Amino acid sequence: MYSNNYTLFFVFIVTVVLGTMLSFTKDSVKDLQDQNLKADVQKTILRSLNFDESLLLSNESIEQTFKNSIDAKCVNVEGEIVDCNIEEVDIEKNVDTLPIYIRMDNDKVQGIALPIAGKGLWSTIYGYIALNPDTDSVLGIQFYKHGETPGLGGEVEKKWFTDNFVNHPIERPDGEIQYVPKRIRDKSGKIISIKVVKGGVDYSKTNNASIHQVDGISGATVTADGVTDFLLEDLLRYEKTLDKIRDYGTI
Amino acid sequence: MELFNSESKKIVSDPINVNNPISLQVLGICSALAVTIRLDQAIIMTLAVVFVLCSSNVILSLIRNYIPTRVRIVIMLSVIASLVSVVDELLKAYLYDMSKQLSVFVGLIITNCIIMGRAEAFALKHGPSKAFLDGLGNSMGYGLIIIIVSFFRELFGAGTITLPDGGAGYVLWSIPDSWYAAGYENIGLLVLSPGAFIILGLVIWVQREFAGVEEDA
Repeated sequence: MYSNNYTLFFVFIVTVVLGTMLSFTKDSVKDLQDQNLKADVQKTILRSLNFDESLLLSNESIEQTFKNSIDAKCVNVEGEIVDCNIEEVDIEKNVDTLPIYIRMDNDKVQGIALPIAGKGLWSTIYGYIALNPDTDSVLGIQFYKHGETPGLGGEVEKKWFTDNFVNHPIERPDGEIQYVPKRIRDKSGKIISIKVVKGGVDYSKTNNASIHQVDGISGATVTADGVTDFLLEDLLRYEKTLDKIRDYGTI
Repeated sequence: MELFNSESKKIVSDPINVNNPISLQVLGICSALAVTIRLDQAIIMTLAVVFVLCSSNVILSLIRNYIPTRVRIVIMLSVIASLVSVVDELLKAYLYDMSKQLSVFVGLIITNCIIMGRAEAFALKHGPSKAFLDGLGNSMGYGLIIIIVSFFRELFGAGTITLPDGGAGYVLWSIPDSWYAAGYENIGLLVLSPGAFIILGLVIWVQREFAGVEEDA
């Protein structure tokens, strides 16, 4: 039988040794981890803006592509450009400094990526939604960080789910099915966002709203409702900015 | 040190074959079901478990005579949890895509019964060299099974064979489009957890046949 003092002493020593080992490890790889994280965010933005996957293979080429083709700045809810340190903006807390990433090609806007974030079931889900220059049709959507259950809510980051937003089937007069992007504005131009619907979108003729709906995830209704809510909320913050881009082609 | 005598060989080879932690003792199948969707994930997971189990066995064996019996479970858990955290941090730094895919399952190595089980049943009763061999044998026994399961799940479920390459994985082989054109289809069930159960059950059956194990009635 060991004495209480010995036991306490032993536990103390073990704690100190293991704690030191952990902090040493974390400290020595922190820079690398931060670089990976930064590249991952940039990769998500580039992916949502439909950049070719071959440009996104290494951290270096991601950084290069981002620097060359993306115009990153901040706006406020009135649609005016404001100064900011874009990497430090926390869109969950900041309501009047909104990051916006514009894909430029020959001085023309090719796409606009906006950060989106909000509560799912267990965690905050982070991602980007990209719109075409008409600021209505979706160019792409990507999620990069979440703590949802793998296989259920975690499916939001999967290709089948994100492809929902850019594959709206419409039947052409000759009977062929054509795929067009989903839309975030209604006929009058008001932003009504896109709803994730339980059970799957009703594509029958009677459902006029199907262009504003995407298939939900079975077993993950709370996550899906969360996505619906924060997508609308976040898009509305950019309403004036998006109107400006639609009407004048620039901010 | 008698690393390669017959007793040592037995310590390593038994858990790979006749006393396999997954197929005979049916331990650690939680992660065996979760990380066997793709071969590259299973390979990285195997390496992580080899590292954690060998190190935790050696460390615990070295201090086994000093651990107060009353707190031994806490000490074992702290050592294992610290090692797993180290692996997790290293993956995030050097294999970022892989660490994203494995997500929580790296952290869950802590709760893998094989690791606690070997610490309690073996490492606390034997010297470091034997404990190391025991860790090696058991983790490779675990790895062998999850690599076999993931090979079949990926091949028939997704139609590819992927090896780890530091990024999103190197596709070694995939089922040619002409097969799909001729009517071949992937078995979607295998990608889901029930598919893992089925494959794992088959592997357990075949492996027990080979090892000549009979269950007591």
